[in-house]
Amino acid sequence: MLSYFKEYFDFRALLICLALVIVGLMSIYSATFDINNAANYDRQALWAGIGFIIMIVISFIPLRTLQRLSFAFYFIAIATLVIILVVGITVKGSKSWFGLIGLGGQPSEFAKIATVLAFASYLSKTDVSISRIKHLFISLGIFAFPMFLILAQPDLGTAIVFFVALLPLLYWAGASNFILVAILVPILAAFGALLGTTYFLIAVAIGAALLYVFRENKFTVAVAFGIMLAVGLSVQVMYERMHVYQQKRISAFLNPEADPLGAGYNVVQSKIAIGSGGFFGKGFLKGTQTQLNYIPEQWTDFIFCVTGEEFGTLGASIVLGLFAALLLHALRVASISRNRFSSLAAIGMMGIFGTHIVINTGMSMGLMPVVGLPLPFLSYGGSSLVANMMMVGLLMNFYANRKEY
Amino acid sequence: MITDDEIDVSSRRRALTIVIILVFVILFLRLYYLQLVSYSEFGKKSEENSVRVVIKEPVRGFIFDRNDRLVVDVGPAYSITITPAAFDTNNLVFLSSLMQLDPAVIQGRIDRGRAYSRFSPARIIRDVDFKTLSRVEENLYLLPGIGYEVESKRLYPFGICASHLLGYCKEITDEQLRRSGTVYQQGDLVGSSGLEASYETFLRGEKGYEFISVNSKGQLLGPLEEGKRDVHSKEGFDLILSIDFGLQVFAESLMTNYRGALVAIDPNDGGILAMVSKPDFDPSIFSGVTSSEVWTKLNTDPDKPLFNRATMTRYPPGSTFKMLVAAAALEEGIIDEHYSITCRGSFRFGNKTFKDTHVHGAVNVVEAIQKSCDVFFYQLILKIGLDRLNDYGKRFGFGKPTGIDIGDETSGLIPSAEYYDRVYGKGQWTQGNLVSLGIGQGEIGVSPLQMAQYTAAFANSGILLQPHAVNSIRNKRTNRIDIIDHSEIPVWLNYDVMRMIREGMRRVVEEPGGTGGLARISGVVSAGKTGTAQNPHGADHAWYVGFAPFDQPRIVIAVMLENAGFGGTKAAPIAGMVMEKYLFGELRRKVTKPVPAKTPQDTARQTTEKGVH
Repeated sequence: MLSYFKEYFDFRALLICLALVIVGLMSIYSATFDINNAANYDRQALWAGIGFIIMIVISFIPLRTLQRLSFAFYFIAIATLVIILVVGITVKGSKSWFGLIGLGGQPSEFAKIATVLAFASYLSKTDVSISRIKHLFISLGIFAFPMFLILAQPDLGTAIVFFVALLPLLYWAGASNFILVAILVPILAAFGALLGTTYFLIAVAIGAALLYVFRENKFTVAVAFGIMLAVGLSVQVMYERMHVYQQKRISAFLNPEADPLGAGYNVVQSKIAIGSGGFFGKGFLKGTQTQLNYIPEQWTDFIFCVTGEEFGTLGASIVLGLFAALLLHALRVASISRNRFSSLAAIGMMGIFGTHIVINTGMSMGLMPVVGLPLPFLSYGGSSLVANMMMVGLLMNFYANRKEY
Repeated sequence: MITDDEIDVSSRRRALTIVIILVFVILFLRLYYLQLVSYSEFGKKSEENSVRVVIKEPVRGFIFDRNDRLVVDVGPAYSITITPAAFDTNNLVFLSSLMQLDPAVIQGRIDRGRAYSRFSPARIIRDVDFKTLSRVEENLYLLPGIGYEVESKRLYPFGICASHLLGYCKEITDEQLRRSGTVYQQGDLVGSSGLEASYETFLRGEKGYEFISVNSKGQLLGPLEEGKRDVHSKEGFDLILSIDFGLQVFAESLMTNYRGALVAIDPNDGGILAMVSKPDFDPSIFSGVTSSEVWTKLNTDPDKPLFNRATMTRYPPGSTFKMLVAAAALEEGIIDEHYSITCRGSFRFGNKTFKDTHVHGAVNVVEAIQKSCDVFFYQLILKIGLDRLNDYGKRFGFGKPTGIDIGDETSGLIPSAEYYDRVYGKGQWTQGNLVSLGIGQGEIGVSPLQMAQYTAAFANSGILLQPHAVNSIRNKRTNRIDIIDHSEIPVWLNYDVMRMIREGMRRVVEEPGGTGGLARISGVVSAGKTGTAQNPHGADHAWYVGFAPFDQPRIVIAVMLENAGFGGTKAAPIAGMVMEKYLFGELRRKVTKPVPAKTPQDTARQTTEKGVH
């Protein structure tokens, strides 16, 4: 019995997940203690319980069933995203929260999982190869469709997750370096365009050089170069059409001092919170930044500063270490899976987790722009927590079925 | 899977492992940089230099009248505040005795404040009187966590005057707060009626922010970086009104004992010169704490003092409507100046008899206006019909809002065929329903403001002006004054038609047999029309509309007195006096009884003017 469990039960994923959930609950408790939001803690604990059950159930679903249902999940997710665009209610300037039986629910959380599963399912078909242009475009389309629906909400953060998580998936699926470069350079150009004309020209030059180095043939280089230019040039137009709060976030990243009360304020206060934690931290419920509520709504996106302030370098390192372990574990599951579907899906999970973790902690520490992305397992939010635990359930499932072709 | 693939997998795994490790090395390095290398800097910032943002309220804009007299001022108001975290609850009873406030009320405020933040001061009570403030201030050293803050509140140099027009500010409601986004905070005062509400965005100014260093116990240490990052509040814009407050005060004094309204406007630009609605209220009671008792009392008062009778009432205009009927008939060619009828004191239509007040004999259109002959207009309206009545009603601004800049107003009603179909059912009404419309009775509903706008179109010989109370807005930061433009729409009446109607109105006041002789102003020719509107709520409403001087009018007036009796005896003298005061700056006539007593039920129904059908 025990040996069966050792062989087929993914204790590592389970323990990492539970440890992170516990740190998260403590941080939320601390962040919301005494400002009448203690209900947040209770609700999050309830969601953790629900998420745990779902996670265990998912880990036991037969792999074939998962694979077969992937496209069904995908189309449900797409339909939900479309419905939200039409009738969704707006929270913090974005349309993504769903009034679901009185609780906030964010379908884009689940759309990420469904998209990864659909992508993995498609590319695991025996007659599909990423190196064929038609199949490449279909796989890109599987990602692009929900991504644009989410971007239209507009939820920039989640759309970024889709984009970044796609890169390791393409890499894992065997896409050539040129394709990866061709997908990356437009982002480089866009970023340059946001900084100004000089930066834009430098970015275009670097992009062109990269495309040349990894070139396959003249035609594809020309197409990729054209796309890069078009994206870069349309960024200015898009920037003007963005919501004011999004523009503020971008300009606050480029120049945090410019907006001392807005997004820049959050980053400054967040850095002070983490920085003042020291090695051992100020102690549970003793963080002055946290308890004085310097950072608005820090139980959501800025939860990492609670951890950093109250538990110090020690606590924050443990959290970062747990995250690193989770990513490496997902990579390991992907590597040892004999089934192409579960292998790709595990890489997808890694990509999603990794993007959230890096962007969120990076933003709390002033390395990244402030984009509204929750920190997996730690940030307050029922749908996010449940979705993350579903992903761990999937990893546990893939681990258990790793020997299945 | 084939071996090649496995080699591939292991090389890709290695590459991704390196990427993950690299990224986390960066994150770890950043964490160590923040927490270990910069600890002294950030630790100091956190413990000594944490930042608290203190909102500085802007000074609300002032309001001036047309002669640059300050009519709405701003003064300091003191609020007692409490910082829940610093307050010792053992002091609650002591504090409540000092403030003479129920401990439960204070406790409630503490709880509300705590819900927001334990460390920021919450207002216990706003605009305390000076005695209470000094009692609390003397004992401040015994009461940690208690403080006071200065805000601005509205002051009214003219006392209770033009309350409905000026409006008031009130503490923002939760609903408004939800809709306003980030502009307002809990406890802010916000314009809630009249000009205060409609010009809120101009008056309110912009909040400032002070960054105060706070230590970890929440104690204030002083400005952050010597206040370099502070954002100063920006004071609100001033309003410059078209109102003449001298005239306003005078008009208010004449209206004191009535329920009703008076609107005086400049027929050259539509600017409101005076706007009175009685009974009224004291707007200053809203600027501090508004106790729910006061609020309930105002709201449930049967005389409805909060209700702006000048813009929100919908009463039949009575005979003051006759110029419109005459204008429609003349302009449409139904009658001309030679057309006349013989009034025998009543008009029979179907099996119903519609009475007149007198037997007027032979009357043409000018005389019919002068003498307010009902029979003339009973007949006329049947020839005009509902559709044309509606067309002319709209030309003169009835049945729709005037667009005045003080917010709440009624659109009123000129009944149409669709309206009658809806109310009575298709085919269930006859031409008989029209007859009383001819003399401004029946379903017609107008506000005194609409009547003034309508009368102004006769005064200026053909332009419907959008009435307005604000002439210009002054930006005190740039000293720029913006003059507001208002719509001016021609009513499209033939010159001869206009001339005849104006002549009729002149005779109402100036000629024997006119019904408005009491509005006469010595030394100036004026014109007008009386009205006495029957209504189901008691005695008739008295109306008078008029303008002066006749040739180059400078003032138009509409007076409506609820249940006061006859327009010619009650409303006309008030209108005459207000116009006289405006034109000469003083009252020339000898007034034996300057303020007529309130007459709830006038028994003199049979004596003059207008009959009952």
